Amino acid sequence: MRFRLVRYFTVASLGVFGLVAGSLVYFEHQQGESFKQMKEEQSAFFGEVQQGFAERQDASARRDLLAIHEAGNVNLTRLFANALWSSDFQPFVARAQAIDVHQCRAMPDVPDASGRMTPPPEKKACFSEVGRQIMAIPGFAELDAKVYDAMKKSTVFKIKVFDLRGITIYSSEHAQIGEDKMTNAGWRGAALDGVAQSELTHRDTFSAFEGVVEDRDLISSYLPVLEPGSAKIVGVFEVYSDVTPFLQQIEATSAQIREVAEANQRRVEAAGVAGLAAIDEASNRQLAVVGGLLALLFVALLLIVRRADRIIVEQERDREHTHQQLTQSEKMASLGQMVAGVAHQLNTPLAFSQNNVLMVKDALQSMQYPMKVATRMSEILRDVDGDHVTLKVVRLKQNLDQLENGSVDVSMLQEMLTDVLDGINQMSELVVNLRDFTRLDRASTTRADLNKSLRTVAYIAKTVISKDIQVAEELTELPAVECNVSQLNQVFLNLINNAAQAIDGAGRIVVRTETDGNTVRVSVADTGKGIPKDVLPHIFDLYYTTKPAGEGTGLGLAIARDIVREHGGDIEVRTEVGVGTTFTVVLPACEAQTLPLAA
Amino acid sequence: MKKNGRILCVDDEPNIVRSLQWLLQREFEVHTASDGQAALALVGANDFDVVISDQRMPVMSGVELLREVRRLSPRTMRILLTGYSDMQAVVRSVNESEVFRFINKPWNISELPKIVAQAVKIARTQPAQAPIEEDGEMAAALADEASILVLDDNPGMAEAVTEAVGNGAKVAYTGNLAEAVGILNNEPISVIVSETRVGSIDATRLVRLMKSRHPEIVTIMLSDESDFETVTTLINQGQIYRFVPKPVRPGYLKLIVASALRKHVSLKQEPGLAGRHEVEATPAAVAASLVSDVQSVASQVAARNPGLAAGFLGSIGAGLRRLFGATAH
Ligand SMILES: Nc1ncnc2c1ncn2[C@@H]1O[C@H](COP(=O)(O)OP(=O)(O)O)[C@@H](O)[C@H]1O
Ligand SMILES: [Mg+2]
Repeated sequence: MRFRLVRYFTVASLGVFGLVAGSLVYFEHQQGESFKQMKEEQSAFFGEVQQGFAERQDASARRDLLAIHEAGNVNLTRLFANALWSSDFQPFVARAQAIDVHQCRAMPDVPDASGRMTPPPEKKACFSEVGRQIMAIPGFAELDAKVYDAMKKSTVFKIKVFDLRGITIYSSEHAQIGEDKMTNAGWRGAALDGVAQSELTHRDTFSAFEGVVEDRDLISSYLPVLEPGSAKIVGVFEVYSDVTPFLQQIEATSAQIREVAEANQRRVEAAGVAGLAAIDEASNRQLAVVGGLLALLFVALLLIVRRADRIIVEQERDREHTHQQLTQSEKMASLGQMVAGVAHQLNTPLAFSQNNVLMVKDALQSMQYPMKVATRMSEILRDVDGDHVTLKVVRLKQNLDQLENGSVDVSMLQEMLTDVLDGINQMSELVVNLRDFTRLDRASTTRADLNKSLRTVAYIAKTVISKDIQVAEELTELPAVECNVSQLNQVFLNLINNAAQAIDGAGRIVVRTETDGNTVRVSVADTGKGIPKDVLPHIFDLYYTTKPAGEGTGLGLAIARDIVREHGGDIEVRTEVGVGTTFTVVLPACEAQTLPLAA
Repeated sequence: MKKNGRILCVDDEPNIVRSLQWLLQREFEVHTASDGQAALALVGANDFDVVISDQRMPVMSGVELLREVRRLSPRTMRILLTGYSDMQAVVRSVNESEVFRFINKPWNISELPKIVAQAVKIARTQPAQAPIEEDGEMAAALADEASILVLDDNPGMAEAVTEAVGNGAKVAYTGNLAEAVGILNNEPISVIVSETRVGSIDATRLVRLMKSRHPEIVTIMLSDESDFETVTTLINQGQIYRFVPKPVRPGYLKLIVASALRKHVSLKQEPGLAGRHEVEATPAAVAASLVSDVQSVASQVAARNPGLAAGFLGSIGAGLRRLFGATAH
């Protein structure tokens, strides 16, 4: 099949360009995606940072608040203690200490619904009983009034006092008096370690000094009470102070910060989206440019390829043309050589036939007079009745030499004419062979008997090759071969000529035919010089010759192989240097049927 | 009828030998052979005046046969008959076989008997000479002053010849025919070494005509172009001594020039020998065309050298008259 350069190029390059464009689009998209992802991650991170910042800000505000209030409460407690402890609380505590709480504490805790160990109601009741006993201690009402006086109108909503056992000795909320705080972390920190402990809590309702308040943020501080003038812990205060307005302010600030952060976040996100769009647009533009360049490249390449294709086609045509010319010129050369050979061959029969005919003609000329005499004699003889006749021989005597010249050996003339006939036969044989060789009168391909061809070719070849070279034919019956006879003749003539040229001096060429029914093998074997190893690979090359210029053209075998291959066959060669060479042409036979071996 | 001359016809084609026999047997005693070996056996046994041989025969070609005949029987005249324009054969027939005539098939039946008769006559009347060896020394051949005319477009040829002869002979060179005629007219020339074409004019005519008038001049043709017809004509009408296709190796040139000089000496010493190289008559038209060519060349030369024009033209005219008996106007 023909190689369709332009079509294949178009398909292949469009395919590849498509792939390139596709992968570009894919990678651009991928890049866009990852950029988007990156942007998202970035803004998420930014958001987290903002939020963290806001939270930290909030937390630190609260921590500050707590710290400030704790410090305030510590001072307050100091004041309070200084003011009330030795005068009022000390004796009260001492009295309350006396109340035994052991039996209450001995009551075991029970796990509540969530599994936490909580005091059962009897235990609470027991401690309430303790509280009632404390409140029953004389001076409680005065103490309570004094505390109320000291604390009213302040941000302190509640005060509790614990003894070193953890029992609530006093609470501005009376119901809580008697409660056990021994396990409370805040109490333990203050009572055992002397460290103030504060905590920020929110209460929906809270019973403060001046009634129940709602929805309040409170800071509760457990504060160790030191004996005035010493570092000895004598009790623990718990103070609840209201920080609701501060906290509200902190929350407002936090909200503001959050708002700003959110706005920032939105801005960042919007910028990300815009950037993404810009990138998308840029990559689209990039894709369009690359696509355009690819298209341009394709068009340029297509033009080049189209031009190359045209040139190739032209060259192919030129090559075909030169090839035809070569074949033709080779044919003409071998034809010319053959014509020269045949012309020379003609010279022999022509020479002796001409010689003989002219001699016979001369002889006949010289016989003219004797024949006339003989004719005249026969007339005379016919007219004479008697036995005698008188001839006047004067004139005959005068022409005696003519009579003598005319005494021609007729049998010799007959021999001469027989030779002439022989010569004519030779010449007509030549003409027939010549006609058979060229087959100019035949259709280009026919079913042919190659034996007949070979006989003709051998005959023609013999006219040119040296008489020291014997040409033998060993032909076996062959099936017909569908072929261009005149082309195959050219092949065989080339092989025989090569064989003859390979023989220096005397030698022998054997033309042999064989068949296995499917193929026909025609071999030309010579006793020539053989083909050296270094020459053998090149003998079928166009223009390859080892013969001097003028003798060899290097076309013979190249063309012979072309012709044989066109016939679906091939040429094989076997050679041995110094012994000879055999070229074998193998051709497909028409069918198994064989032709009778023509005589 | 008395047969004058014993001849041998050799051809591998029996019809040809028979025809030759029929043609020649009336005048001559004709023997035949169908191959070289048989022919040589006959030559050894009989004294032939003429051997006519075909060129293309198996085993031994005509040229080879005639070369042997020349060796075995120098007095026998040799005629080569061929149906093939085989260049190599014709050149070898000059150089190796020194044939008297080179005849193409088909032959002319009225001419061939005449040629044979002429050859027979020469064989019987002219002294024979053993083949001149081509290895003799130059000096041995030169009994007297010899001069060589080199006629070639290329002066290098004259140098090559000068080198080949050393101081054994004078060498005159010219690249044009008119001058050649002048030289031939003015001095005795022993050997002509000539191209077939000089200044694009056919020089073989001069050679042929010179040989017919001056048989003692020995001719060597050196040629770039090898044309079968030319060589045949040079054999038959010029009896050239050697024909050498160019390029010629200096060693070989020396050999053939020396042998040509010796040939010339022997021809001069025994003028009868020259009879063996009797040429076929050159047609008159050839002489006329040569004369007109020489004159046109001469006038061209004269036009270039007006100083010597008159004398030069005069000497050419005289030369032509002397050399070829032509009438110059
Ligand atoms: N029968 C043969 N014996 C030896 N050599 C051969 C023979 N046939 C072909 N060759 C070699 O193959 C070469 C190519 O042959 P060919 O193509 O016919 O070209 P050419 O005959 O013009 O040289 C010859 O030059 C010769 O060397
Ligand atoms: Mg060949």
